[in-house]
Amino acid sequence: MTALAPIRLSSRLRANQGVLVVAALLVILLIFGAFISDRFRTTSNILNIFEQSTGLALVSLGQTLAILTGGIDLSVGSMISLLSTLTSGLIAGKVSMVLPVAIGILLLGLLIGICNGLLIIWLRVHPLIVTLGMSAVLQGIVLLYSLGPAGSVPPSFNFLAYGKVLGLPIGAVFILVLFLLVALFLRYARLGRYIYAVGDDEVGARLMGLPRARVMLTVYGFSGFCCGLTAIYLTSRFSVGQPYTGLNYTLASITPVVVGGTLLSGGKGGVFGTLLGVYLVSLINNVLNFMDVSTHYQLIAQGLIVIAAVSIYVEKKKRV
Amino acid sequence: MVDVSQASGAEGPAISMRSRLSPYALPIFLIALIAVSGIVSPAFLSTSNISNMLLQVAPLGIVVIGQAFVIILRGLDLSVSSVMATAAVIATGFSGQNSDVLSILLIAVGIGIATGLVNGWLVTKRSVSPFLATLATMIVLQGFRFAYTQGAPSGNVPPLFRLIGSATWHGVPYNMMLLVVLAIVFGVVLAKSRFGREVYITGGSPTTARLLGINADRVTIIGYVISGALAAIAGLVLSGYVGIVDNWVGRGFELDSIVAAVMGGISLSGGQGGILGGLFGAAILVVVFNAVLLFGLPVQLQIIIKGMVIVLAAAFYVRRRI
Repeated sequence: MTALAPIRLSSRLRANQGVLVVAALLVILLIFGAFISDRFRTTSNILNIFEQSTGLALVSLGQTLAILTGGIDLSVGSMISLLSTLTSGLIAGKVSMVLPVAIGILLLGLLIGICNGLLIIWLRVHPLIVTLGMSAVLQGIVLLYSLGPAGSVPPSFNFLAYGKVLGLPIGAVFILVLFLLVALFLRYARLGRYIYAVGDDEVGARLMGLPRARVMLTVYGFSGFCCGLTAIYLTSRFSVGQPYTGLNYTLASITPVVVGGTLLSGGKGGVFGTLLGVYLVSLINNVLNFMDVSTHYQLIAQGLIVIAAVSIYVEKKKRV
Repeated sequence: MVDVSQASGAEGPAISMRSRLSPYALPIFLIALIAVSGIVSPAFLSTSNISNMLLQVAPLGIVVIGQAFVIILRGLDLSVSSVMATAAVIATGFSGQNSDVLSILLIAVGIGIATGLVNGWLVTKRSVSPFLATLATMIVLQGFRFAYTQGAPSGNVPPLFRLIGSATWHGVPYNMMLLVVLAIVFGVVLAKSRFGREVYITGGSPTTARLLGINADRVTIIGYVISGALAAIAGLVLSGYVGIVDNWVGRGFELDSIVAAVMGGISLSGGQGGILGGLFGAAILVVVFNAVLLFGLPVQLQIIIKGMVIVLAAAFYVRRRI
């Protein structure tokens, strides 16, 4: 037993190499940021980074599960646009509408995600195509609903984005709890293990009689639910939803997942890496802001980070 | 040499019926669509509307030719729209005179080729999934474009591009002639040349390609380069059609070209389909978009239809496995 322990430890380290690299990068960036600006070092800036990463963390969490099964959810951007526009459009400034609308939005997100899952199962078309098609359909629907910002929310609604518990931003605390719960689910729940099994070897999983349909409905439903959470958070932060709110979230949600070491071919990775990826991306944007780099170059940086990340983790298996 | 038609004939009787029907399905569907649209709205068949539709087919068709190579190679290219917009921005970046046409063409196609090389390198040498590789290059190129134009491109498109993009010769648009020439050249390359056969084999079965001694990586990289170069040409043609250029010329063409190709029977699982089918797909898409406008339906329906068509078309052509 004792002889086995070092081997297991080293193989574990190798598997988590990517996560260690990301963690190291985080530390380096923090030191670098502290050197370039005094304002970077303040507690309020650090809390600011946590606060700004909430939306990205929520959508990336759902994306991680979809990618773990070897699939992808390209409909997240349009779904966030649709759901956030509906949030402020339906609340229309009335305090009494906040709770019913919020619940309705989460259910709608779940439902759209389940539709993705059902189409993937029934049509046997790759998730990439199903969710790409769904993305166009949802974008069309939100533009039919409104061509610009719709409705409004009561001032107290921004509590979700800017409120604090014990001095910490609500969103950031919620994220930590949610990620922990999902990590526990992936590690200990039977369905959680099936997600890895389906992503690792789909044919093998089918031959073993694993419930692929249930796995697909769970991950795409959950991704839709996460989009609902993101939409509500973003509406709270910007106090109104508009039809292009989610435009950049499709690629943005994939970036932290691949940076965190989850393979696009499925079966390997986890939500912890994604969370580090989210913080890394937010930190990079924050540092670039302090360096007065224009948003154009931030776009280039984002693309280059993706390219760098996917080139480092070489995938040996099938391609999407 | 390996005969590709034999290779695809080995699929078994289950799909041979469908594959025997599909060459006729597209033209019949297109004609039926035109007939129905003409009956519902007589304005659809007016000379001006038809020549307008022909003008719109060409830019999309040119992109579809390149997309066909990439999809047959089991990939897909999302960076085409970004390449198109960059080419269009370049077209207005000079004096706006015909004397600059050659430099514009060289720079734009050069950018297209460079993008294709990066895409191809990522997909083959680094095993990045095609959609992520091309999505990333799309974003990077977009960032460079914004930085170059500082958000607001200005300047004029040279008259020659205006002529090719929007003028007609006895009712036939010049850009349609360009499309036909490109379609014949690349159609012959794909269907008749040794390189074309290697494209089908590499896309159909990478293992077979390796066993036959085909340099699959090289073939794939060339496929992405063709797609990038053609997207640049399509961007120049489109800049001539719209006349004024903003940062988003060609927006939506990445999805449109994939929808057209898939609708035209170019399977996303690789190794199947041809350029003619893709062009029929492009024509059908343009007719549907035009009909939506002519029937007075909301423009947003175009996007919704696009989304549904790509899923249904992919489901129609899906290869049943296991």
